[in-house]
Amino acid sequence: MTQKNDPTAEPMIARDATYYRAPDALGSRIRASLAAEARSEARSQVRPTLWRWGGIAAAFAAVGVLSWNVALLQARGSDEDRLAREVVTAHVRSLMVESHLNDVASTDQHTVKPWFAGKLDFAPAVADLAASGFALAGGRLDYVNGRPVAALTYRHRLHVVNVFEWPATDARDQAPRSIALQGYAVVHWTRSGIEHWAISDVAGADLVTLAELLSKV
Amino acid sequence: MTRLARLEQSLLPHLDAAYNLARWLTRNDHDAEDVVQEAFVRAMRYFDSMKGAEARPWLLAIVRNTGYTWLERNRPADLVSIDDVGPLSTEVESAGHASGVDANPEVILLQSANRKLVNQALEELPIGYREVIVMREIEDLSYKEIASIAGIPIGTVMSRLARGRSLLKGLIENRMRKAS
Repeated sequence: MTQKNDPTAEPMIARDATYYRAPDALGSRIRASLAAEARSEARSQVRPTLWRWGGIAAAFAAVGVLSWNVALLQARGSDEDRLAREVVTAHVRSLMVESHLNDVASTDQHTVKPWFAGKLDFAPAVADLAASGFALAGGRLDYVNGRPVAALTYRHRLHVVNVFEWPATDARDQAPRSIALQGYAVVHWTRSGIEHWAISDVAGADLVTLAELLSKV
Repeated sequence: MTRLARLEQSLLPHLDAAYNLARWLTRNDHDAEDVVQEAFVRAMRYFDSMKGAEARPWLLAIVRNTGYTWLERNRPADLVSIDDVGPLSTEVESAGHASGVDANPEVILLQSANRKLVNQALEELPIGYREVIVMREIEDLSYKEIASIAGIPIGTVMSRLARGRSLLKGLIENRMRKAS
């Protein structure tokens, strides 16, 4: 084909096909979602610095009991970090092959929840939140934090969300906290003695919404 | 300038190109919007890896990947694989001359086919041919850019274009025959 660099020599058969222009509303939606994403990235980068400053201030303030508290804070921080990494790994692994994702694939919470009975020593929170944009897709057993855990999967627009659940060591309720790691949003919270870790490649704010919805179940 | 502002400045001018490709991949307005929005969020995550690359092909590669992932999950039947090395099927050969690269009067006649008919025929084309024709003829990208977006060698871009055009020509002719 000698004419490969000469576009006029090409038979442009589809030249008259439609060039689809993006609807105006799409541009504004994208601007909004980029701004939201930027905010949630900024938030997750600010938090570790606050922790560190908190640690330094406390260390300056006193010795003894106070530095003991700092050690506890740091232990908690590194625990969070380790778990976030484990959750990212489990999430990525679950998406590698379609069959890894769900042991029980169903959008019916009354099918998914009983499936866990006898497989775990607790009852995970399961809800179909399709009306709020998080459609239940199924569940499976997974292994996180050195124990078998429930993994519930939800679909949010194009994204798969994994929610890992296991009994918390500290049973007190804890409000959702978000972290960004390797491009994933991770949100964790404790409710009714169950620790929840949600992860996906959506905006962090979307996972906080899911956390709030699941806390109402 | 903030990262967000830089991102908007380099990528938003290519929103139409992104939407056009997504629309031709998914063949549906609503799905195309979802794919484009998702692609921009991904682009934001990987923006630092764009470095000196040209924004339009870089963004379109992300749109294409996002579109394929979306189709895999929602309409896997759309992702028919195409044979890049085998002989042209008899159907293609009967539809027109196999090489189909000459700007002959027949092609000129085809070009006068109305837009609706061309659109329908192009939508019918297997995705592997459809995307290269859309990128080449509607989006005016170079072979090199198409090769990098689709992740295939330039030679494959050219052979897919030739076969795709030949198939498309057959589809348009069929429709014209039916219409007359």
